[in-house]
Amino acid sequence: MSAVLEVSNLRKSFGGITAVHDVSFDVREGEILGIIGPNGSGKSTLFNCVLGQLQPNAGEVRVDGRPTTGMRPCDLNGLGVSRTFQLLQVFPQLSVRDNLILAGQEHRGSMLSRLFGRSDAGLGDAAERMISFFQLSHLADEQAGALSYGQQKLLDAAMAFMAGPRLVLLDEPAGGVNLTMLAHLRERLRAYHAERNATFVVIEHQMEFVMALCTRVLVLAEGRIIAQGAPQDIRRNPIVIEAYLGH
Amino acid sequence: MNRFGVVALGAALILAIVATVAPFFLRRYGIYLISMWAVLTIAAIGLNLTLGYAGQVSLAQGAFVGIGAYTVALLTQSGWPYPAAFVCAGALCFAIGWVLGYPALRVAHHYLAFVTLAFTTLVFLVLRNEEWLTNGIYGINGIERPMFFGWSTGSALDFYFFCLGMLAVLSAATWWMLRSPWGRAFLALRENPIRALSLGLDTRRYTLMAFAIGSSLGGMAGALYAPLVQFIEPGSFGLGMSFNLLLMVIVGGSGYFFGPFVGALVAVLLPEWTRFTEGYYLLIYAALVMVMMAFSPSGLLGLVERVSKVMTRRAASPLALRAKGTEP
Repeated sequence: MSAVLEVSNLRKSFGGITAVHDVSFDVREGEILGIIGPNGSGKSTLFNCVLGQLQPNAGEVRVDGRPTTGMRPCDLNGLGVSRTFQLLQVFPQLSVRDNLILAGQEHRGSMLSRLFGRSDAGLGDAAERMISFFQLSHLADEQAGALSYGQQKLLDAAMAFMAGPRLVLLDEPAGGVNLTMLAHLRERLRAYHAERNATFVVIEHQMEFVMALCTRVLVLAEGRIIAQGAPQDIRRNPIVIEAYLGH
Repeated sequence: MNRFGVVALGAALILAIVATVAPFFLRRYGIYLISMWAVLTIAAIGLNLTLGYAGQVSLAQGAFVGIGAYTVALLTQSGWPYPAAFVCAGALCFAIGWVLGYPALRVAHHYLAFVTLAFTTLVFLVLRNEEWLTNGIYGINGIERPMFFGWSTGSALDFYFFCLGMLAVLSAATWWMLRSPWGRAFLALRENPIRALSLGLDTRRYTLMAFAIGSSLGGMAGALYAPLVQFIEPGSFGLGMSFNLLLMVIVGGSGYFFGPFVGALVAVLLPEWTRFTEGYYLLIYAALVMVMMAFSPSGLLGLVERVSKVMTRRAASPLALRAKGTEP
């Protein structure tokens, strides 16, 4: 299997603190890679460097073999890389449907053709399918801000899939979501993965969620990768247990 | 068409009928006032696009009205046909607005307000000091009203209908743009630029575009303002006008399509209606604005929306149904 994402020797410092320390890893096509680690271990910084939100100090990122280091997030998204954020990031004043159309519209034609094209950019049906796939049909016309936290989290994830991405990076999709909604979210992610053979990278604290969803897990502590492997091996790994539970 | 579309279409229709009939019941000064309303509404629509939809604070809209007015005055007086001068005013303001958008890529909110405020001062100084071009503090006199295929807009009534026609065309064009995917992108820019960027929106290009189009509408308003008042001078386009336009957008309801129409109406008519209080009318006007901001920061249309929501909820609640049922 070929690597969709290759990260090599990535480093990011803030002043005297090195948040990400020469991290290298590959993400292979169709896998669900989990990234876990204690708070402050550099997971989100790593994501932000990979996705162009932050400029890394050193190292290289490649998507499908193409160097993308320092590329703007919108251009990276154009290559089929999509993400969610740790904190909820929907557009509260737009309807659920408009949130989803917005998430796909920039992939339809040029800016000028969109001005003279249809209001829904031809994405009405796709948005409807995504709404029913994530079981949000009864909320389609509601303002996103009026939804419950868990529902917004579902919408947030649905938006990341709207443009039919090759690679989706999810930053704590389970954070603050109750158990029922969590099972629902996991099931939807799994279904989407099976349907499209999409590649996921998931940052998560909720261990059960990671163990049930991911095919491979990478453990980060103090900006370095300290372990990687199958979920059941990671769970028993003494280094990981020590990093999480302290000395 | 959804419910909102029906309401909007109805409002536009009523507005069009009232605006067409109104001048026949008005004297010369009244017609001048509603012409001013039409012109300022165009400028406020531009600012509403930049500020209300795309969320970019601008205190420069008055300066763009000035640039548009001077462009048209100078070009028509040197023999250009009015339509060409009008297009030039719009295009020039589009270009300058695009450039003014660059600071918005680096700073936001009140910092951006300061940048645009400085720009307004700069434009005022250029208009006042570059006498070779603008005739300085003496201003430009005797600006002709245009003639189209034998239709002279010289009279107050004819010129009003010209302004009203331009308002109809430009607001329809803005409506068209806002209902396209661009409108959604502008809102995304206002609500969450970081997420928008990660969803593939080229936020840089949309920000510049919001400034350029908004400024261009300001310039076109200026292109109507010059032949309306027929005498322009730098003082008209200072900070006062920019603040006034900002007030129109806020009072009407920032981010509501019809906000500028309402806001401009209030700003043009209220000072006239409260004129009987003589020296106190500005005081009353200012106090009314303060009270409204405290109770309805989303402007008059925000207030209307809130009230109508409460009404529909009351009508739908079982309590209301029972009350109706017990009526004799």
